[in-house]
Amino acid sequence: MIEVRNLHKSFGALDILKGMNMSIKQGEVVVVIGPSGSGKSTFLRCLNLLETPTQGDILFEGTKINEKKHNINKTREKMGMVFQSFNLFPHMTVLNNITLAPIKVKQLKKKQAEMVAMDLLTKVGLADKATAYPGQLSGGQKQRIAIARALAMQPHVMLFDEPTSALDPEMVGEVLEVMKSLASEGMTMVIVTHEMGFAREVGDRILFMDGGDVVEQGTPEQVFQHPQHSRTRDFLSKVL
Amino acid sequence: MSKDGKGVRPVLDWFGMLWDFKWDYLSGAKITVLLSLFSVLAGFILGVVIVLVRMSGFKPLKWLTTAYIELVRGTPLLVQIFIIYFGLTEFGIEFSPFMAGVVAVSINSSAYLSEIFRAGIQAIDRGQAEAARSLGMSKAMTLRHIVLPQAFRNVLPAIGNEFVTIIKETSIVSFIGITDIMFQTEVIRSKTYTALGPLMGAAMMYFILTFTLSKAVATLERKLSSHD
Repeated sequence: MIEVRNLHKSFGALDILKGMNMSIKQGEVVVVIGPSGSGKSTFLRCLNLLETPTQGDILFEGTKINEKKHNINKTREKMGMVFQSFNLFPHMTVLNNITLAPIKVKQLKKKQAEMVAMDLLTKVGLADKATAYPGQLSGGQKQRIAIARALAMQPHVMLFDEPTSALDPEMVGEVLEVMKSLASEGMTMVIVTHEMGFAREVGDRILFMDGGDVVEQGTPEQVFQHPQHSRTRDFLSKVL
Repeated sequence: MSKDGKGVRPVLDWFGMLWDFKWDYLSGAKITVLLSLFSVLAGFILGVVIVLVRMSGFKPLKWLTTAYIELVRGTPLLVQIFIIYFGLTEFGIEFSPFMAGVVAVSINSSAYLSEIFRAGIQAIDRGQAEAARSLGMSKAMTLRHIVLPQAFRNVLPAIGNEFVTIIKETSIVSFIGITDIMFQTEVIRSKTYTALGPLMGAAMMYFILTFTLSKAVATLERKLSSHD
């Protein structure tokens, strides 16, 4: 579904990604772990071109997307993204946050978009917050709304960029629950996270990144119980 | 000089005198308000266009708008008004005094407003635009629905201040014969052979306008931020 070939990304003289190769299959939940500054988030942001790769190819459903002539907006409709800092639109109600893109981009009728939105709000347990503004919500609630907002576009894949890192500890669980149920419905997901317990439980595949490349990957069992690489062992010994 | 025929009023009977000339002051205030209002509106639209061009990333246009802003901000409004009113006649462009005033003040305020907008846009967290783009929204949609509404709300007080500034700055348009508050004040001065009284009247008129406006902006601002 997604294929990454020889992906390089540098900011000025700083090389963040150094020739990554990987692919993601339909329905797969890939969890990316690794130390800070290893390029995890940059890698994720390259997938929907929030960062433009310096070199290399990114293919989504068989099409190369990092080309000038490719209409990235069309691709982004199919790739939902959830951010560490939620990025809800503070000047709009929760309902409008969710319906804006379906109405403006997918040309859905307002009524229809609102029905979809209410279904999603029910799913994330926040149907009673439809008319609230983001400023009135807790961090966990904001992130669940952000997930609903991304799902409203009916994406084929969901990208999560450290979705629980900005949350108070007691709110992490509610967001992970939503993500778990999403995974169990067969959604393709790429998740950058520091929640190792969650990674082990939900991930079909764990990707350990360090120094701008994939150092090791495999099933949670392989990576967490029998890490092959010394850098992986080193990292796991610090976080587990 | 007073209407009751009791002879010349004492010099310090300001309020009586101002009352006598209330219609002159009010007609001056009408011109001042109209001139300022038209100029802020036109300056607002022009300012938005300038800031969008400036942020478009197309280098030559960017330089052009930067030069425009620097030139306009770096020269006195009075010179700009004279150029528009007297200078352009050499090219066969003739404005009525009022139109010349509106054009000059609009140009002047567009430069200041575009800088206010730029600061307002840059103050919006980058994550806002990223979230919108990640949903498949185009650059234009993102600007229109996400960035500009939030930026506008942030700069509303600054726009109000610019309006207040313009009301005060327009006092020099009487130089080209626009019958604003200051022009009427000069008329009253020449009628009464006094200076302080009529000038106090002018100060009062300007203050009533600017004070009311600042209070109105503050109220609007509170209303807008109440659901944050």
